[in-house]
Amino acid sequence: MSVDPDVIRKCMWPVCLMGLFVTGILSLDCNLLNVHLRRVTWHNLSLLSRMSKSFPIECLRESKAFELPQEILSDTQPLTRDIKEAFYEMSRQAFHIFIQDTFKSTWEEKHLRQVQIGLDQQLQYLEQCLEEEEEENEDMREMAEDEWTQSGAPVPQLSNLELRRYFNRIDRFLKDKKYSHCAWEIVRVEIRRCFYFFHKFTALLRRK
Amino acid sequence: MLLSQNVSAVGPLNLYPMDESCTLKMTLRNLQSILSWELKNHSIVPTHYTLWYTIMSKQEDMKLVVDCTNITRSFCDLTDVWVNMTEMYIPKVVGYRGNAALVSCMGSFFLTTDTLPLDPPEFEIVGFTDHISVNVKFQSVAPKILNEEELQFYLALIEEQSGGTVKKHKPQINGNITENFSYVIDKLIPKTNYCVSVYFEPKDPRKINRSPLKCTVFQPGWESESSESATIGGIITLFLIAAVIISTVMMLKRIGYICLRNDFPKVLNFYKLSVLVFPELPRLEEVATVEVIHINRKKKVWNYNYDDESDSDNEAAPRISAGGYTTHGLTGRLCPASVSSATLEDCSDPAAEEGDLPEPEADAEALTAPGPRPWQSECTSRGYQGRGNLLQDPFSEEDSSSTEGSGDRIVFNVDLNSVCVRALEDNDDSEVTPMLPSRPEETVVLEDPDETESNLLVASGEGTQLPFPGPSAECPWPEDAPSDKSDTSESDVDMRDGYVMR
Repeated sequence: MSVDPDVIRKCMWPVCLMGLFVTGILSLDCNLLNVHLRRVTWHNLSLLSRMSKSFPIECLRESKAFELPQEILSDTQPLTRDIKEAFYEMSRQAFHIFIQDTFKSTWEEKHLRQVQIGLDQQLQYLEQCLEEEEEENEDMREMAEDEWTQSGAPVPQLSNLELRRYFNRIDRFLKDKKYSHCAWEIVRVEIRRCFYFFHKFTALLRRK
Repeated sequence: MLLSQNVSAVGPLNLYPMDESCTLKMTLRNLQSILSWELKNHSIVPTHYTLWYTIMSKQEDMKLVVDCTNITRSFCDLTDVWVNMTEMYIPKVVGYRGNAALVSCMGSFFLTTDTLPLDPPEFEIVGFTDHISVNVKFQSVAPKILNEEELQFYLALIEEQSGGTVKKHKPQINGNITENFSYVIDKLIPKTNYCVSVYFEPKDPRKINRSPLKCTVFQPGWESESSESATIGGIITLFLIAAVIISTVMMLKRIGYICLRNDFPKVLNFYKLSVLVFPELPRLEEVATVEVIHINRKKKVWNYNYDDESDSDNEAAPRISAGGYTTHGLTGRLCPASVSSATLEDCSDPAAEEGDLPEPEADAEALTAPGPRPWQSECTSRGYQGRGNLLQDPFSEEDSSSTEGSGDRIVFNVDLNSVCVRALEDNDDSEVTPMLPSRPEETVVLEDPDETESNLLVASGEGTQLPFPGPSAECPWPEDAPSDKSDTSESDVDMRDGYVMR
């Protein structure tokens, strides 16, 4: 069956336009999620380090242990989806903290904006990938639930809950310290630490 | 600011005043975490130092670094002390003189981002005949930070040519960085100075600590051979190119595409000035041999009927010579009678004698002129180069010029353009049927309106430069001859016989 040249001509432009957008479409490929998260997380971590030249030693006395839930990286081998959800929760909470407009004098505006933008991109990426995964695994959810109950440890819920508590403590600390300069510096250091922790977390995604 | 208080190894942080009288740096020297410090005020020189540290994540007291207590050096190896990359460490250095603390300084280090770039490892470069080998020496004990997957330190080599061009090499290091390894740099330009620098490239590209350059001049052992071979190869290549070009040119010339021969004949050479200025008159045509058959025939109306009964005896069938001339018999005596097929050569001799001609033959003789031999008559007296009034004399003397077409033939060259004919005195049976020069293909009728003499057919030989004018008007008719022949020949040679008198 021969193809009409006119049809080819008509379809050429849509095909070309679609091809141009392929790269953009592929860039959101959730199979490359671990790479994207690894890169974005490290970028945000570097931004937090550059926001302040050095930690003011005088603020050491106000430091506090926020107890980052490191048990989420236990040996129980959490599922990939759990890791993604943990990432999403962490990004969302951190974005919530840095979106507050109370530290204008503490850091440079541009650095703060960059952190906010980076966190926002990370959130969008995670939302899309989580939605796709949920649609694909909807049929298997019942089976997963059976296995999940048998394992005895509701890992996904625990990690997200711990993360929420963790960031809640940070938020409370800021409020208690009345968003002082030292409080923000301490929070900055702590969230940077959290980012690095999750940066190591991406290695689990790659291994899976 | 001097501190008079004794520094307790362990104490609350808030008891120690903050002092920034020194600069703390965290480096990775030989893959080891080294904390070094430098006093800002060089006038203060402590005798020994002591190092404490704490962490940010917990409210902990300062911990003493045992290996860095009362040390005289200004650095401390914390490779085995600071191992948690997620932590932020707060070190404190106190300088003493005796028991008095002279200076105290603190800092904060998040090892992932605050560590200065790795010091480059030790390396050596060795030049070989065709490559340069870079041997990098690593410490046997690698700090834990290098084995952390997140750090992604790797080795990068810089190849720097003398011209300033920098080429970067990134050798792959498999496994832990614990063993020495060598990297080969090939594809080098001979007689070029190459400098190599080694450094670790951290994630943050801004923090790169390059090693000092080590240079060597790349001089391969087979350099002379390579240069000679290169020279020979170049010569051979040039030779091949020249051969290809020459063969192509020769082929084109042979084909005739280029350098066409311009070997024109001289007559076609119009570029001579003399030719342009003085155009040469064209040569007269050469005359081909023609055979004239003398036919004795009576005067009659020429009916172009060659099948003439009356002249059957004398008649010779006119025939067309090879030159396209129609031959007809001519009356008159050309030569001595004995000559049957006389040629002009033969006839010329009698003509030269002038007057010693014998009695003309009774028979009309065809005039045969050899090709190159011209002869002339009275009527063509100008410009004749030939000689031999062959017909003149005989005709003048003829009394019985009637020729008989006995079949004798005289072949002579006739240039009809130069032929001047006149009526030949015709005897009873003779008839002159000369030829008309202007119409070589037709029979020529010579008519002398004034006389009845026989016509003369004057032929010019070959190559005769006979500037004979137009056929009819300019040919002077001799007066003498006709007068002599008036009684012998009939005057009326009828044009209607087909001959045209010129």
